[in-house]
Amino acid sequence: MALDRKVGFWEGVRYKGGGPMLAWALHRISGLGMIIFISLHVVASFFTQQMGSDWAIGINIIYESPYFQLFIVFAVLFHALNGMRIIILDLWPKMLRYQREMTWLQWLIFIPIYSLTIFIMIQRVMAGG
Amino acid sequence: MQVKLTIFRYDPENDKKPHFDKFTVEAEPTDRVLDLLEYIKDYKDGTLAYRRSCAHGVCGSDAMRINGVNRLACKVLVQDVGTTLKVEPILGLPVQRDLIVDMEPFFDHYKSVIPYFVGSEEMPQKEQLQSPEDRERFDDTTKCILCGACTTSCPSFWANGNYVGPAAIVNAHRFIFDSRDQAVVERLKILNDQFGVYRCHTIFNCTDACPREIQVTQAVGEVKKAIATARLD
Ligand code: SF4
Ligand code: FES
Repeated sequence: MALDRKVGFWEGVRYKGGGPMLAWALHRISGLGMIIFISLHVVASFFTQQMGSDWAIGINIIYESPYFQLFIVFAVLFHALNGMRIIILDLWPKMLRYQREMTWLQWLIFIPIYSLTIFIMIQRVMAGG
Repeated sequence: MQVKLTIFRYDPENDKKPHFDKFTVEAEPTDRVLDLLEYIKDYKDGTLAYRRSCAHGVCGSDAMRINGVNRLACKVLVQDVGTTLKVEPILGLPVQRDLIVDMEPFFDHYKSVIPYFVGSEEMPQKEQLQSPEDRERFDDTTKCILCGACTTSCPSFWANGNYVGPAAIVNAHRFIFDSRDQAVVERLKILNDQFGVYRCHTIFNCTDACPREIQVTQAVGEVKKAIATARLD
């Protein structure tokens, strides 16, 4: 009997799709990450306000920690830029031929903005803010 | 030089689960991976099963995963992939034996997009001429050899076998953008389906996998746009 066609998660991850496949995976992860953490933040803030519950305060402490903020800024910025790239490719399919260049451009915009964010955050933390 | 191969094995009559076999063979840097498989089959283990026919990148029988990406074994040279090789069947189709998968679901998707020329109803009295520019419009997608490397590299296809897949869309593109064809509307309707073009999330594995260097994702993108705008430009 032939084997099932099903492709396991790890089997899929093992496929060497390279940069573009990674961008797609990050797009999904960052999208999901934003939904989960921002809704958690909103819910936790509500519970903190209404009843000062400990778990809600705990979640908001994590949320407001500089490390977590770095992650969230990464997710928002990456998701936005990658989304823009895909919208451009969808509107002008001829550009799909130059997708490698477009991915470079995307990182070229991403790196300075993200570095600046990290820089400002470190400055704040150093200043005890 | 010595090449170490780890090859996916599955014999439906004797094995419950697949396993890997290791072989070491002597090779030239300019040998193709297919040459190594032929050597193993001839001299080391005659039970090794894989498809090949032309051995020159034309028939499309020997798409397989070589070191984690879809390639034609007859087009990949040892010097390009190194001396440690892992060879596995393509993903998302049922493995029948070793490196052989059941291509039927793949060809069913291919057949579903009317992959042939549909002329005008009345019999034309002379040849239907086409300008070089009109011919150029779909030149890229005429090169497909139906090897399946693109469709089986696509995470959307892995996740759901009902997705028609890039190969079928490439072959639809070949006729959708042919100025003489009369079945454009039907084809666009078929692909404007929940298992049609919109399953493509521009992951580009297909474009990388295509041994004919077809701009597969671009072809899918052009069909998407044709559906969205109801225009062919
Ligand atoms: S488009 Fe390329 S990868 Fe896909 S079936 Fe055709 S030749 Fe193979
Ligand atoms: S054997 Fe024909 S394409 Fe490789």
